[in-house]
Amino acid sequence: MAESATGMVSDLPPTPKRKNQNRRDWREAIKYELTGSRLRDTISAYLFLTPFLVFFAVFVLRSIIYSAYMSLHDWKILGTVQKLTKEPLGNYVELLNDDVWWLALKNSAVFAGLTVVGTTALALSAAVILQRKPTGSTFFRAVFYAPSILSVGVVAIIWGWLLNTDFGTINYLLQSIGLPKVNWTGDGNIVLITLSLVTIWWGFGFPMLIFLAGLQNIPESLYESARIDGASGWELFRYITIPLLRPTLLFVTVTGFIAHFQVFGQPYFMTAKGGPGRSSYTAIIYLYQAAWEAYRMGFAAAVSFTLAGILMAITLIQFLVAGRNDSN
Amino acid sequence: MFRTRSFNVSTVVMYGLLILLLLIIVVPLFIIISQTFQPNNTLYNYPPTIITTEPTAQNWEGLFTREDLMLTQWLANSLVAAVGHTLLVLAITAPAAYAFARIKFPGRNILFFVLLATLMIPGDTRLIPNYLVLRDLKLLGTIAALIIPGAANVFGVFLLRQFFMGIPVELEEAAIIDGATRFGVFWRIILPLSTPALVALSIFVFQANWNDFLWPLVVTTTVEQRTLPVGLSILQGAYQTQQRGLVLAAAIFSTIPVMGMYLVFQRQIIQGVTFTSGFGGR
Repeated sequence: MAESATGMVSDLPPTPKRKNQNRRDWREAIKYELTGSRLRDTISAYLFLTPFLVFFAVFVLRSIIYSAYMSLHDWKILGTVQKLTKEPLGNYVELLNDDVWWLALKNSAVFAGLTVVGTTALALSAAVILQRKPTGSTFFRAVFYAPSILSVGVVAIIWGWLLNTDFGTINYLLQSIGLPKVNWTGDGNIVLITLSLVTIWWGFGFPMLIFLAGLQNIPESLYESARIDGASGWELFRYITIPLLRPTLLFVTVTGFIAHFQVFGQPYFMTAKGGPGRSSYTAIIYLYQAAWEAYRMGFAAAVSFTLAGILMAITLIQFLVAGRNDSN
Repeated sequence: MFRTRSFNVSTVVMYGLLILLLLIIVVPLFIIISQTFQPNNTLYNYPPTIITTEPTAQNWEGLFTREDLMLTQWLANSLVAAVGHTLLVLAITAPAAYAFARIKFPGRNILFFVLLATLMIPGDTRLIPNYLVLRDLKLLGTIAALIIPGAANVFGVFLLRQFFMGIPVELEEAAIIDGATRFGVFWRIILPLSTPALVALSIFVFQANWNDFLWPLVVTTTVEQRTLPVGLSILQGAYQTQQRGLVLAAAIFSTIPVMGMYLVFQRQIIQGVTFTSGFGGR
């Protein structure tokens, strides 16, 4: 829950070989095995681990396994004895035959795709400019990150009103430069674009900070020698910045896509849970309604597992594609 | 001559873009804040009134005088939940991370692998069982329901473990020779040296809990139990046609605590975000 909110996926480097006092020489090692210190270490390690493991076991490990188990059942929220679905994997079969689910997936994917492309482009541009340390760069950086600390409700209320078709400031601005009014949240063809634009405004500061950190790792000497060879600004960006920023770009796009695929708050607030019709109806709204409006807990568990499978597959595909490009 | 000119053009373009982006972020907030001081009838003017000639505080008064708006209660709930959650996460992840970073014990690799594996599985799969567990423990509708379920933050363990491993072992060896216990080493040496990592994790965890919407929507049931984001959704549903100014004022009000914090700790927050993201971004 908490960690999925920002889509953090850890991609840690392998554990470095650390100096271990007990392995330094075999005599010490034997002494360690024979005396009580090995046992003492084990006991203290588990004492350190116990508080975490209790919460981990109950709310992470058990829940994941139990969710898989529930997904095979016709789970009654108040029942004591739960029955398996009539046909095996019935919840999954039903889900895959539901057109609304496929629509929800499509909407989530379109929203996530638009948002990731827009966010990455804006965040990278801002980072490249700020990297050159213009006067006031720390001020600009702080302001650009500021919307990220707002909660989804605040963002949705602010933009819902600014984008109001009849009274909104944005439509007034459009009209004053001779453009027609736009029905931002009421037109099924543009509602996902609207939600995506609002989300880009809200969240581009986070990837911007990641890009800034990544840019700092590119040695300035590379740019200098390329400049001596007569490379233009665009060429520096295209042939130095982009290739060396690849791991960061991959991280931002993959985690961003997965986080935005799970969009819930924006359509919940701004389009009355996915309207107009089902134009902004997303996968997590589907999950929410299955569990807490229809109270079909087994079916909802199947939804959550299918969704998890899709998200893991997306991660895998994106890393495989990136890996293949790397070797070319 | 040509060189200096092209440099100036790019500087102008650079500042132009920065200022444009600045306006895109600041102007919407300014318009909304300004509109919370408008009487409700002029709020529906077209063209919209940005700065009113007859400012009123009626929307802001309404926030605190209307019985059905429990804005201060929601604020307190959000604060207690986010602070409690952050403290709990720190209290359980830091010792676990220390064990993984420094102590050799049977089962370490298997445990670590299990943790890593669960990090790959999206959190949505845990929503429903966690909800049912809290229901069975009779914790639905309590602050504990907002604090406990996400506390086993695996990402936090990785982050801190990584940081702890970068601290020289010699410091601990010296302390142990002087008779310090494992816990003494952890408490007096490792933790004080790890402030940047602990602050970064706290910011990350606090913000995620503060802004969470789906989970508090599901586990709180009565008006008094709601958190700010969920409270805002109730307000929006009830008042957006009649009392738009009230809804806007509530939205702005709810950002005051975090915005205040951001103004004061801006540097630490940005460093913290960069720090946590660095562990995934490599």
